[in-house]
Amino acid sequence: MTDSLEARSYAPIESSIPVGAVPLETIMCTEELHRRPSRPPGHEEENRALVKLVSALADSPSTIFQTLAETILHITQCDSAGLSLLTTDGQTPDVCGKRFYWPAIAGMWNTHVGGGTPRNFGPCGDVLDQNRTLLFKHFERRYPYLLPVVPAAEECLLVPFYVAGKAVGTIWAIMHSDRRKFDVEDDRVMGSLGKFASSAYQALASIDELRFQIGEREKAEAAVHKLADGLEVQVRVRTRELERSTAELLATNKELEKEIAKRRRAEDRFRRSEALLAEAQRLSATGSFSWRVATDEITWSEQLYRIYELEIGVQVTLELIRTRVHPEDLSLLEKMVEQARTGMTDFEWQYRLLMPDRSIKYMHTVAHATRDLDGQLEYIAAVQDVTARRMSEEALAKSRSDLAKVARVMSLGVLTASIAHEVNQPLSGIITNAGTCLRMLDANPPNLEGARETARRTIRDGNRASDVITRLRALFSTEEFTLELLDLNEATREVIALSLSDLERNRVVLQSKLAEDLPTITADRIQLQQVILNLLRNASDAMVDVDDRPRRLLIRTEREDGDRVRVSVRDVGVGVDPQNVNKLLDAFYTTKSDGMGIGLSVSRSIIERHHGRLWAEPNDGPGATFSFSIPSSQERVTDTAL
Amino acid sequence: MMGERSLVSVVDDDESVRESLPDLLRQFGFAVEAFSSAEAFLASDIVSETGCLLLDIAMPGMSGPDLQQELTRRRQKIPIVFITAHGDSTARPRLLARGAVACLFKPFSEADLLDAVGAALLSRTHGP
Repeated sequence: MTDSLEARSYAPIESSIPVGAVPLETIMCTEELHRRPSRPPGHEEENRALVKLVSALADSPSTIFQTLAETILHITQCDSAGLSLLTTDGQTPDVCGKRFYWPAIAGMWNTHVGGGTPRNFGPCGDVLDQNRTLLFKHFERRYPYLLPVVPAAEECLLVPFYVAGKAVGTIWAIMHSDRRKFDVEDDRVMGSLGKFASSAYQALASIDELRFQIGEREKAEAAVHKLADGLEVQVRVRTRELERSTAELLATNKELEKEIAKRRRAEDRFRRSEALLAEAQRLSATGSFSWRVATDEITWSEQLYRIYELEIGVQVTLELIRTRVHPEDLSLLEKMVEQARTGMTDFEWQYRLLMPDRSIKYMHTVAHATRDLDGQLEYIAAVQDVTARRMSEEALAKSRSDLAKVARVMSLGVLTASIAHEVNQPLSGIITNAGTCLRMLDANPPNLEGARETARRTIRDGNRASDVITRLRALFSTEEFTLELLDLNEATREVIALSLSDLERNRVVLQSKLAEDLPTITADRIQLQQVILNLLRNASDAMVDVDDRPRRLLIRTEREDGDRVRVSVRDVGVGVDPQNVNKLLDAFYTTKSDGMGIGLSVSRSIIERHHGRLWAEPNDGPGATFSFSIPSSQERVTDTAL
Repeated sequence: MMGERSLVSVVDDDESVRESLPDLLRQFGFAVEAFSSAEAFLASDIVSETGCLLLDIAMPGMSGPDLQQELTRRRQKIPIVFITAHGDSTARPRLLARGAVACLFKPFSEADLLDAVGAALLSRTHGP
């Protein structure tokens, strides 16, 4: 509806004043205002009108123009009242507008709201051109586009309307009949109302502007908020990302550090294990080598160079190895090499090295066949210098046999004590029973029955003693008489070593003088050592009661004329009665009851089997010296036993 | 020498000693009791009557020196003559130091035996 009204009501913009239009002066009667009698100013009414305008403004700012139109209509008591405002878009006041439009009309013309007139050819334009109030009479006679706007205007009073000091339009009042004529007071009231309306409009515009600005501001703020929120979100996201990536970075860093530490440890371990390996090789006298069969490329460990006594780093070839291998083992070496070349088998072999100083080294090699990175046959081997082990094994075997011998020597010592006990018991019975027997026979009357009984017991005990001797003989006959080449000094030293703790316990000070020029002798080592041991123990026992002088014991070996050797043991003990010297060596004769009698007796028989002689002699000072002498070589062993 | 028969106790694990020694001693007028172990002697009722103890050193169970100590502990002052066939001459001074009258090594002579037993009985008569 508004649209059609607009289309109908807008007068076309005239490019020039149309032909036939009456001049402006013919429709203007502004001067008449001052001549007409003026009604008194209705201030009270005017005030009421202003209050109405203000309250309209407060109630609904958008209707201010309509309220203004109605107020004018009411105060001037005209037929129609309204506003004309310059516009470019048909709605908004704009000083640059090419036409006026009517935003609000009250009274008879109110149906023409939205219509308008051109700026360059019309009553409003005339008011703005002259910038003052103009009064028109039938202006449709000059401006024909107003003819359709009915009812026609008898008189029209137009007052400029200013906004912000600029005339943007007019406010007007129309009389469609001559019922009343406008006067000066109408001009004044309309001017006053116009000013007020202008202010109100400006205020509104300001408010709108303010609102707009506030809105914009809010929008801006919202945008800022949104932006801030977005930023915040972004920051949060970014922070999280950063945190995450920092954490990841830290984790990675830690991982890296761990890795580095691990690597370092591994390197350390590697270095350590390398050092350990070298050390282990050195300590165990074990070298190692690798041998690439196809190229005969041989790599040695440092230790292997040391074992072969070659300068470390010298290029190793089979030829070089051959110069060190013992000539007797060379064929073995060739065989091993040949075998190793043909097949992929682990091998192990023992050989000897002949060093430049003619010394011999015993080697033990264990090789493992494998494939190198190129798939070629390669042997990895450990080579151990087992010379020391070989030596110690030999020494061990020897000391083992020595130990066995020593044990046998020892057991004879125990045996003699045991024999003494076995023999002494029946001997004691024999002597006691014989005594009893004599007593019984001497009695008056003789106790013949008792004598017979004790005589029988004597025979029994005699048989017991005899049995012991038989057993002893049997024991010694099982003992093999084994002749061997031996160093008498060495045999003597072994016995000394064996007796040392006993001698020390008995506080015996032992001195030995072993001749250096002794020939190697042929003898039964064990039996000879038993004799020496018995002589030592005998001498030690002879000094048990010696407290007034050091218990000196001297053992010596000597070379005798006629290719004989002598061993003598000298003590400072109780000594021997020269008259009993021979008895001393008889079986079972003893000055003590600890079996030494048996020992000496057995000793003598052993020496005699060696075609030698055992004797005792008193010293010039205290004690005695027991000696034996045997030929250094044994041609024939007599089978004389005890 | 002595008006009354003095009791001699023989403690030895060897049977031939337990047979022969008492018979010989009886020929000299001694009353003799023989025991095969130290425990058997201690269990008998003649400990306090014994004027001389002929005691073997090495016996299974309680040894001669063990019995010597036990008697000392019981304040039974019986003169002891040790007899042994297993000679450890180093033990002799120790045994004598502990109060043994003598230490005879088998085989011993009749004279040595009588000397030792006589000395033992005398030590009891005149002893502390």
